[in-house]
Amino acid sequence: MERRVALKSMALAMGAMAGLPAWASGWSKGTLEKGTLLTADQSKILTGMVETIIPKTDTPGAGELGVGGFVQKMVTDCYDSKAQASLKSGISNLDEQSIQRFGKSFADAGKDQRMQLLQDMDKGSDAGQKAFLGMVKNLTIQGYMSSEYVMTNLTHYEMIPARYHGCVPVTKG
Amino acid sequence: MANFNIDSKKARTYDAIVIGSGISGGWSAKELTEKGLKTLVLERGRDVQHIKDYPTTNMMPWEFEHRERLPKEITDANPIASRCYNFKESSAHFFAKDNEHPYVQEKPFDWIRGYQVGGKSLLWARQTQRWSKYDFEGPARDKFAVEWPIGYDDIAPWYSHVEKFAGITGNKDGIDTLPDGEFLAPHDLNCVEKYFKESVSKQYKDRHIIIGRAAHITDPQQIHLDQGRAKCQHRTICERGCPFGGYFSSNSSTIPWAMKTGNMTLRPHSVVHSIIYDDKKQKASGVRVIDANTKETMDFYADIIFVNAAALNSNLILLNSISSRFPNGLGNDSGVLGKFVAFHNYRASISGEYEGFLDSTTDGRRPNSGYIPRFRNVYKQETDFLRGYAAGFGANRQTYNDRDGMGESLKAGLLETKYGNWSVGSHMMGETIPKESNYVALDKTMKDPFGMPQLKISVGYDDNDEKMIKDYIEQVSQMFEQAGFKNVKSHDGHRNPGNDIHEMGGVRMGKDPKTSMLNKFNQLHACKNVFVTDGACMTSTSTQNPSLTYMALSARAVDHAVKEMKAKNL
Repeated sequence: MERRVALKSMALAMGAMAGLPAWASGWSKGTLEKGTLLTADQSKILTGMVETIIPKTDTPGAGELGVGGFVQKMVTDCYDSKAQASLKSGISNLDEQSIQRFGKSFADAGKDQRMQLLQDMDKGSDAGQKAFLGMVKNLTIQGYMSSEYVMTNLTHYEMIPARYHGCVPVTKG
Repeated sequence: MANFNIDSKKARTYDAIVIGSGISGGWSAKELTEKGLKTLVLERGRDVQHIKDYPTTNMMPWEFEHRERLPKEITDANPIASRCYNFKESSAHFFAKDNEHPYVQEKPFDWIRGYQVGGKSLLWARQTQRWSKYDFEGPARDKFAVEWPIGYDDIAPWYSHVEKFAGITGNKDGIDTLPDGEFLAPHDLNCVEKYFKESVSKQYKDRHIIIGRAAHITDPQQIHLDQGRAKCQHRTICERGCPFGGYFSSNSSTIPWAMKTGNMTLRPHSVVHSIIYDDKKQKASGVRVIDANTKETMDFYADIIFVNAAALNSNLILLNSISSRFPNGLGNDSGVLGKFVAFHNYRASISGEYEGFLDSTTDGRRPNSGYIPRFRNVYKQETDFLRGYAAGFGANRQTYNDRDGMGESLKAGLLETKYGNWSVGSHMMGETIPKESNYVALDKTMKDPFGMPQLKISVGYDDNDEKMIKDYIEQVSQMFEQAGFKNVKSHDGHRNPGNDIHEMGGVRMGKDPKTSMLNKFNQLHACKNVFVTDGACMTSTSTQNPSLTYMALSARAVDHAVKEMKAKNL
């Protein structure tokens, strides 16, 4: 009985999810109206950057998981204009560095070249570029760890735990 | 109103009107309709139907495009709502936007509001501790506010009544200062919380650590299944609305229950302007409503009126109910309407770490936490401040991931969860003393978008609150240190009053009509067919999360109202 009630409730709720009514989605409409912060080329560089920070191994990297888009969305919608300017200028500077050092855009640079550029930025003395890298790295970690792929396949998020045990051995998993 | 014909007036006449559909209004509606009264429930916001209108309830974390953070445009436009811990991407649609209902802050006050059917019962923290006799006796013993006209014995059966229906998890702890209720199976305290409980009980015979009593169904009874509610699934995303009805809300419980009787008419988008007073009959005859969509004004009539608009809005409605008999607000012969507003002091918190039980952790999630009942000044005055505080307490095993470097090493670090120490934390819930100088009133010039006077709020902390914060930090830090917790730190967040969302008073209960608004059955002394049973009625605040007490007072007042109606006394 109890289970049936629950299943029925779930089915109804699933139905409700399919389309968000205006009063629910109205809160984030601003996103759509503002346009994109970065150009297509800059977006490509950002994707290359997040993929360098969390690369493909035997599992997908942050680039493939769309984390570049997440980083851009967060900075566009949730961060102030200073952070937005930092993202834009940081990407331009990174690209200039790449052209100077390797004669090609960051988007076309090799994996090792990209890593070298980011590591140099991390160790360098330009506070603005370091802050830019720190912001992108933090958002990359957030976007990757909260991606559907990682939460489903790697960290096994439980939507409905249906339990709380106050004291279990750490080894349980 | 001359152009309304008699039929139209008849169609707008009910046995009872309930203003508000939140936690107390839902209870008033349920009890009135169950007793056979044709009841109109007025709600200023839109309808929110159980499950159907919980758009985010089954969304996975990655489906929130900002991962629960709200866009800057929204937080900038809503600084008040944004200071509420629960205002986020998954729940923002259940909060009133700041500009929807402006008010005047004579002192900083965060007025957190939920304008929809169900009100804030969708968003509440679900903690449901009973008051004890020591709480009700406070004002009389310590000579502040006025004496409560009721004591624990008056309300105890009504606590039982509402607990059985709402579904309250808890442990029968047998503590004199925090009476046991009708409990479903308790949640677990975890190993560090149990350890702290033992440590504290070794040091102090009058200090207890217990699992919170909370409105979650841990062990469904027939009465819960009859409501279409099921066992709590420990999702701990309650603020989105629960498709299982695992926690109590008006939406999952009292409102559909009242609807099922066939006696309820629910009218959303109905902003109450005032209560209409009939000079000839010397009682209230109805309620004046502004339709939120059309801005049209219309009157509804009833024999009895329950005011459950949430504490400050109930004050606003009474203040705006002006007649030749009551030029200063309905029932306000005493002049105390709007005054003696109080709240809960949530400013301080304490954190620490524990290095024991490192081979243990917790499993699953818990929609509840530990609780420390008030131990200060309970049996006698023992400090240089009045009253005391309860506190939340919880422990969690810390986990972390290495975030060093970039590339494959970073990725490997992120995917390997490591265990740290246990983190422990507590926050205070202090009683504040109602004072005449903490008040709300109608602003003389500012109007809201409906043309209603804006509410002016002048509520602040006082010296008693500051001393209490200091004592809480000293006492609970000491309890932490005695338990061997390390890195113990205290924090005063200086949050504004109101951010606790436990604002109370302004229409207080009392024995004497000269110094109070309501009698022992929540009736206006001077207008007996109007009942106020939400936070506005509170004579003092004590320390417990107040909703359970509002539910019990509402059910008790309805019982009295219907008896009085039958005896033709109203």
